[in-house]
Amino acid sequence: MSETDDDTPARLSDADMLARFRNSKKRPPCSDTLGMELLSVNQDEQSLRMGFDVSASFANPTGAIQGGFITAMLDEAMSTCVIIASNVTMTAPTLELKTSYLRPLFPGRAEVEAKIIRMGKTTAFMEAACYDPEGRMVAKASATAAPKPFKRIKS
Amino acid sequence: MSLAPHHQPDYYSALPAASKLLGFKLLRLDPQTYEVDAEFMAHEDFLNPGGTVQGGFVTAMLDDVMSMAGVISQPDPGWVPTLQMSVSFLRPMRAGPVLAYGRVKRAGRTTVHTYGWVTDQAGSRLAEATAACVPRPIPQS
Repeated sequence: MSETDDDTPARLSDADMLARFRNSKKRPPCSDTLGMELLSVNQDEQSLRMGFDVSASFANPTGAIQGGFITAMLDEAMSTCVIIASNVTMTAPTLELKTSYLRPLFPGRAEVEAKIIRMGKTTAFMEAACYDPEGRMVAKASATAAPKPFKRIKS
Repeated sequence: MSLAPHHQPDYYSALPAASKLLGFKLLRLDPQTYEVDAEFMAHEDFLNPGGTVQGGFVTAMLDDVMSMAGVISQPDPGWVPTLQMSVSFLRPMRAGPVLAYGRVKRAGRTTVHTYGWVTDQAGSRLAEATAACVPRPIPQS
């Protein structure tokens, strides 16, 4: 299958899209830093679920994860939603992002659910929530992004 | 006049893990105006597929300086956890050193409103944020 050159690349099944991300050898550094793992993709619902190995190096003096790093996980999931919704033809620089911090999150495991509220040609609106290992919501975010064509560096 | 411990730069010399990861370096702290200026290092590890710093790491830098401004706005040492934070990403951040500024809009006993911005070395504004926080005493163990 061709990568992204076609104007209308064939849509992958959810399982193939998931495999494409999970097997990618070109993971961005931020995904590795956050210990991100894509768990599931639902293209009809424009939603996905990600797991994170939350490093103790993200902790503040209380031992809880500093809010910005929770936002980093939420941003990661919301941006990936847009990339997948565009069939991996667009990237999604975030313009504006608001996070509510409901409870502290501690180093260990976390999951994020993200979905697209509306996606147009030049704007995308997303929502995401972060859950602790007990399934309690620790943070909720909404964001606006401006999708742009992917400048894939051919190697 | 002697300053409260959390109004002195030395109080912040033992960096928490998150600040260390972000390459936090305190440049200025004003206990009268509750202003904090700091330098951060945008590491290659923070880059997104576009080769610029992922927004959450920019948010983490802002949260660091804004929370510190919130901490010094209180008469006693304590924590000022962020309840809600809104960030506008104005320009892409590249890897390298950046400057961040934390300020207090209003400091109350039960709520603190903070704001901040981050610039590149040339002073070009890359992102700005506002936040609402709640001061909490440090629990006695």
